[in-house]
Amino acid sequence: MCQHQFYVAKPALKSVTVCARMRRDLRGALLLLLTAAVQSSSMSAPGKPVLLSCRSPEKETFTCWWEPGSDGGLPTTHHLYYERERLEGTYECPDYLSAGRNSCFFDKNHTSIWVDYYLTVMASNALGNATSDPFKMDVMEIVKPDAPGNVTLRVEEREASPCLHVRWMPPSNTDTKSGWVTIKYELRVKKDNSNNWKEYTSGTQTHFSLYSVSPGGVYTVQVRCLLDHGSWSEWSNTTFVKISNYLQNERPLSMLISILSAILFIMAGLILIAKRKSVKQWVLPPVPGPKIRGINSQLLQSGGSDDVGNVLIIKQSFPPIYFVWEDQMEDYLIVTENEDWLSSNSQKRKKSLIPACFHFDSEIHSKESPCHQNDWEKDEEISQVDNNNKPFTNTGYVDFQRNVENVDVKHVDYSRVKEVKSDNIIFLEKEKVQSSGYIHFQRQEGIPEDYSRVKEVESDHLVVLQKQNAADLSCKDEGNHYTDCALHKPRKPHVCTELSDSGYVDTIPAPPLM
Amino acid sequence: MEKVLFAVLTLVYLELSMRVVSAPICSYGQAGCHVPSLADLFERVIQQSSRMHSVSSDLHSDFEQYFFPRKNLIGKRKCHTYDILTPEDKENAQRLGREQLTEVIVRLLQAWGEPLSELYQSMSQDQNQDFNLYSSNKALEISDILHELKDGVTIITEKMKLLGVLSNTVGYNSPESLVPSSAFYTQGDLDSMDHHDLLYCFRRDSNKAKNYLRILKCTTLPEPDC
Repeated sequence: MCQHQFYVAKPALKSVTVCARMRRDLRGALLLLLTAAVQSSSMSAPGKPVLLSCRSPEKETFTCWWEPGSDGGLPTTHHLYYERERLEGTYECPDYLSAGRNSCFFDKNHTSIWVDYYLTVMASNALGNATSDPFKMDVMEIVKPDAPGNVTLRVEEREASPCLHVRWMPPSNTDTKSGWVTIKYELRVKKDNSNNWKEYTSGTQTHFSLYSVSPGGVYTVQVRCLLDHGSWSEWSNTTFVKISNYLQNERPLSMLISILSAILFIMAGLILIAKRKSVKQWVLPPVPGPKIRGINSQLLQSGGSDDVGNVLIIKQSFPPIYFVWEDQMEDYLIVTENEDWLSSNSQKRKKSLIPACFHFDSEIHSKESPCHQNDWEKDEEISQVDNNNKPFTNTGYVDFQRNVENVDVKHVDYSRVKEVKSDNIIFLEKEKVQSSGYIHFQRQEGIPEDYSRVKEVESDHLVVLQKQNAADLSCKDEGNHYTDCALHKPRKPHVCTELSDSGYVDTIPAPPLM
Repeated sequence: MEKVLFAVLTLVYLELSMRVVSAPICSYGQAGCHVPSLADLFERVIQQSSRMHSVSSDLHSDFEQYFFPRKNLIGKRKCHTYDILTPEDKENAQRLGREQLTEVIVRLLQAWGEPLSELYQSMSQDQNQDFNLYSSNKALEISDILHELKDGVTIITEKMKLLGVLSNTVGYNSPESLVPSSAFYTQGDLDSMDHHDLLYCFRRDSNKAKNYLRILKCTTLPEPDC
């Protein structure tokens, strides 16, 4: 009798007495066990791969990548198959190696633009196959260039601010020369370690200049490019440059200099303020005023009018002035004794002779005044009339005192004698003003030889002196011999009964120059 | 008051000066015209084709996002310009020669005149869809640019013939058989699928036209960096 005994499959098997029928069953059992063992260590057909993306760097070739699924524990191979528009049949990938693992590279001969590709990837192993979903693509849509290369930075240090010149090369595989693709560039810059990139578009140029850089920083630059209407490339490798801050080193020095100069200026200003008076004197020297001998300007300022008046009156040492002024603006005071001379000119002027009237009213042009003041003709007429007189060419001052309105204020004026025509005609230069007021004549008893009494004052400009004696007349009649009839001849004062007052015209003795 | 007067005077001056600067451009050298050079013409035409492709590409992607959010739509379509044989890579395009390249460009442009206007009309009529409301003006823009581009290419062809660069065998009045019939699309009213197909096809063809024009320019005008 055979005993059916079941044993677990172990390497060490105990020897068992078996029958032939039992051997066949045993094999079957063993096979079952082996299969169970294999299944418990997961071997299977491969999982479904997935096509990820395709990319063409220059619109002439392209590469596709996939991701494999599970491999089922067995060595699995992948195959890419494609169909193409306008091309019959299914083809396999021409190059699995050039682009790395799980990729397919299509070279120029196998690349056509503007046609659709339908791609599938099949994974297969000992136990089965798995096929990915179809992937449709057109090369026109998958263009993404490589990053530009050889990015170089150059710092140009200018006076105002430095500038950064960036240069790069297009990616080596793109063909821009034939016009097949047009390339566009973009660059971005960041300073130091910040995360703010500043982007700039460069168009088709392979260089760019940055002007907004400041010294003392590290600048990082990256460039990328674009073909036609495709996708942007990756950013190029980082290139950075450090801009030296030599300018900053200069700054403390310049600040120091500016501070020192500011201090100097302040000090100079303070000194100037402290010594402003002397500075003012030096910058604007005072204009020397006129110095009149004998006049104390201090006195004048203090306003002692009496003293001033006295000073002005007792002026005995007036220096004579020897020049004749022929100013038309000035009036002349004619002091004359010659009544005939007066009457000869009567047609030229209106007058009424009122003898010995030298009493000026304050209102000169008032009709009440017995004296009429008339305007004088010019000097030329006078000289015409008096051609029979020999003029003395010395001038002197005739001073009268004037009183204004009977008030005891001494309002003194001088009139300069312009020329002495004869012993009885004196031309006085009259200044423009002061025609008002009384002329106060001092009566003096002991009349010195030099005095002539004023007979009448014709007007502002004419004073007629009294002729004292026949000797004078004879002097006149004799003609030219007037030298005898000098001013020095004594004259008796001729009292004018109608005179309210009499006065003397004080003449200054002729200077030795004459 | 003075500022207003000054502003008015400045504007008047600018207007007058601009009038002086922009003389009318004419291609046949009529009196009083500023005749542009071949380089200028090419530049203008390439800009226009680039703009055309850009707008159509935007419109297509908008369309896809709105109607078919799921990406990678599989659908084998056939464009009505399928029959126009076009070079499909750089070497073939360069090997083609100026005359043939010009012909291809002209044929492509002519083939799209009618379909684009149909597209615009269809989109502007179909106001139910919000997409059409916002995007029909882009279709109009594409249509207009295409029209200008056709004229521009005609002018360039004439000028090149004049300069002896192009032989006179190039005829842009292609016989009817060569122009693909746009009846392909007018069998009925266009629906969204038709819109999508049209946009897809036109995006591709405008890209072709742009590329071919650039190659034509670079082979015709000797420039170091094209």
